[in-house]
Amino acid sequence: MQVVKLSLKKANKIPIEADNVNPDNFAGKTAEEIKAISVWHGNGQFPLGDLFNVEVEGSDSVENTMIVFEGDVSRVKRIGQNMSAGEIEINGNVDMHCGFGMKGGKVVINGDADSWLGCEMTGGEIILNGNASYYVGSGYRGEACGMRGGKITINGNTKDYLGEHMCGGEILVKGNVGLLPAISNNGGKVVIEGNATMPASEMKNGTVIIKGEVSDLLPSYKEEGTEEVEGVTYRKFVGDVNVGGKGVLLIK
Amino acid sequence: MSEILIKNASVCDPAQGINCETMDICIRDGKIVDSVSENAKVIDAEGKLTMAGGFDGHTHSAGKINVGRFINPNDARKNLVPGLSGQVARTEKTRAQVGYNTPNTYAIGYRYAKLGYTTICEAAIPLLAARHTHEEFKEIPILDKMGLSLFGSNWQVMEYIRDKEPEKLAAYIAWGLKASRGYGVKIVNPGGGEAWGWGKNVSGLYDPVPNFDVTPAEILMGLAEANERLQLPHSVHVHCNNLGKPGNYATTIETMKLFEKVKPSRDRQSLHVTHVQFNAYAGTSWRDFETGAPMVSDYINGANHLTFDLGQVIFGPAVTMTADGPVEYANSRMLHEKWSNQDIELEDASGVVPLFYSPKSFVNAVQWAIGLELALLVKDPWKIMFTTDSPNGGSFVNYPEAFTYLMSAKRREEVISGFSKMALDRMVLPGIDRELDFYELAVMTRSAQSKIYSRPEKGNLKAGSDADIAIYDILPGQIDPATEYQKVKKAFSGAAYTLKDGVVVVKDGEIEATPKGRIYWVNAKVPENIDSPMQKDLDLKFKKYYTVSKSNYMVEDMYLENPVEIGTEGVF
Ligand SMILES: [Zn+2]
Repeated sequence: MQVVKLSLKKANKIPIEADNVNPDNFAGKTAEEIKAISVWHGNGQFPLGDLFNVEVEGSDSVENTMIVFEGDVSRVKRIGQNMSAGEIEINGNVDMHCGFGMKGGKVVINGDADSWLGCEMTGGEIILNGNASYYVGSGYRGEACGMRGGKITINGNTKDYLGEHMCGGEILVKGNVGLLPAISNNGGKVVIEGNATMPASEMKNGTVIIKGEVSDLLPSYKEEGTEEVEGVTYRKFVGDVNVGGKGVLLIK
Repeated sequence: MSEILIKNASVCDPAQGINCETMDICIRDGKIVDSVSENAKVIDAEGKLTMAGGFDGHTHSAGKINVGRFINPNDARKNLVPGLSGQVARTEKTRAQVGYNTPNTYAIGYRYAKLGYTTICEAAIPLLAARHTHEEFKEIPILDKMGLSLFGSNWQVMEYIRDKEPEKLAAYIAWGLKASRGYGVKIVNPGGGEAWGWGKNVSGLYDPVPNFDVTPAEILMGLAEANERLQLPHSVHVHCNNLGKPGNYATTIETMKLFEKVKPSRDRQSLHVTHVQFNAYAGTSWRDFETGAPMVSDYINGANHLTFDLGQVIFGPAVTMTADGPVEYANSRMLHEKWSNQDIELEDASGVVPLFYSPKSFVNAVQWAIGLELALLVKDPWKIMFTTDSPNGGSFVNYPEAFTYLMSAKRREEVISGFSKMALDRMVLPGIDRELDFYELAVMTRSAQSKIYSRPEKGNLKAGSDADIAIYDILPGQIDPATEYQKVKKAFSGAAYTLKDGVVVVKDGEIEATPKGRIYWVNAKVPENIDSPMQKDLDLKFKKYYTVSKSNYMVEDMYLENPVEIGTEGVF
């Protein structure tokens, strides 16, 4: 097992782009080597060691590498971008694009996450023990496919456009979500235990289950009886008929 | 005084009939000259193919392309042609670059220059939005630029044609070119843009435009008459009716025939038909869709009054952008794609739809074949400008790839081997073994353009011409493009040198310098006694209908960097 502990030397206002900070890039490296990895800070590139205290215990493969962020990193973006294995633990709030394009491994956030958490991820797992902002698991602007695989679990609430353009994978939200969750869903599974507004507009495919209250259910869904999932009976809706969709929306 | 001597170049200059002969080229103060002094800086071009700078005669590189940028922000990160696409950080010499089909303005300049191109013609300037086009022109480095102004669905134009006032029509065209600082007359789906304002389209040359009582044929003939009366450097530039529809080859040939009776006022064609690939479809529906290229090529081979460009398809993502509003609506419905639709007030319509050309789709495969069939079946390369109608058929950064299709039957076979039987049954390309040589390629990519646009200082290496020169690291005679097409592609993808006005702007495929290019525009002279009654009619249009005033409409001098005013004398 290799454990890499990172903590900011001082709080930053200008964002740090930590797209290099992932187990793939840290595995088997010494503290000195990791400190030398360069990251963008504003419009300049700096060695990671200038911005973070770095401690390394052990040396191991990507699968057996764990990165731990201690303290608030709410102005550090793209942590875990494209990671394929290993684990990242963030003990504080994190900035946008955490876990973007993640292919495998695990990210655990003990704090809140800003927008675009787990966008375009294709595998692996994100567990957020806090609230998320906008566009969890969605696609890059203009892209037709967001999340394609893996799982995101949010133990708090999220804001609008949860899972926009999802084409696969699963999102579970224990709290409430904002406007238009699962918009343009094309094959993903979204489970919301709290409340939601205008869910699953333009859904072509996939499943959306809402256990809480639904506000402004769209008129473009056809009710087709009921369906039972894990012992609970839901009203079953199929749509969005506006796009000839065959998605399933289950609500109480 | 700055002098350059390009030594031992293998020169291919069709305008002078020079077919890959070893010679020196002399440059003084940005022009090609007969000789230079001993102090001239020497560029050793031994073993290198040397041509005039490339000239893209039909590209969407300023104006409407911006709608493509915001409808497809994800294009910014696409990198399908490494070195000529994707995100590139700024350097000491270049600004940051993004994109593939819709790159940022700087990237457009750099990438064309890397391909050895030095002049482009933006294919569609809506008069009303011309300021924006010129604002983008200003930020496209290196290249000389010109643009074609849209007149084909314009109220003032249609009224003058209906009311049989050809002199006022010519005066209006002259004014419109000045207002938009345009170079020529573009006609897109004549009448169709206006019909689209009513949710309709015109079905052919003799289908009257709603509320105007003129037909597309009358619009074409009226504008051609005005074009020749003003002695404009370019002929009318026509995107035919029924574009993108099976069976449209008949409309295309009918349109071409209509122009047999038009007498050109200058030594050039009387008609340029654009992106003919999209207008050479046979069949009656998408089910029995097939190539119409043999019929169109047959007609063109027997005609001497017209030129055309290809609109070659490149497999992969593209973005269609056109003033043909109804076509874009049809595209977006058929493909379930994003759609932008714009109303250009009294002038035209406009739409943008991204799409993806797949070799697995039989329609796309046949479209791909049609472009090449046209290029290979039409015998005279001087009638053809090579284009992809960038980015409608695909991004211009794929030109080197497309050149390999033109130069190698083997390369074509490789692509064709991936097509379905159904696609193969609907095309004639597999039976064509013609392979273009470097000379013919030079005609289609620079020399024909010079003639078609009446820019004698472009597209050739004659003494007196602009020293816009492309030097490619490949030697005709030493390589066989039919088999060594990868070398052809590599050489054309990054010029060994590109010179613009005698300045080395590209060296070894990398940008060396980023001078500002020129803007060409046409100022056609109209007598006062014809201009002023036309202005009165126009004032009424602005008062009654336009959302802007006439004084806020004109493109002013401050929008133009290095403008070159081409004066012409109208005949009244
Ligand atoms: Zn075009």
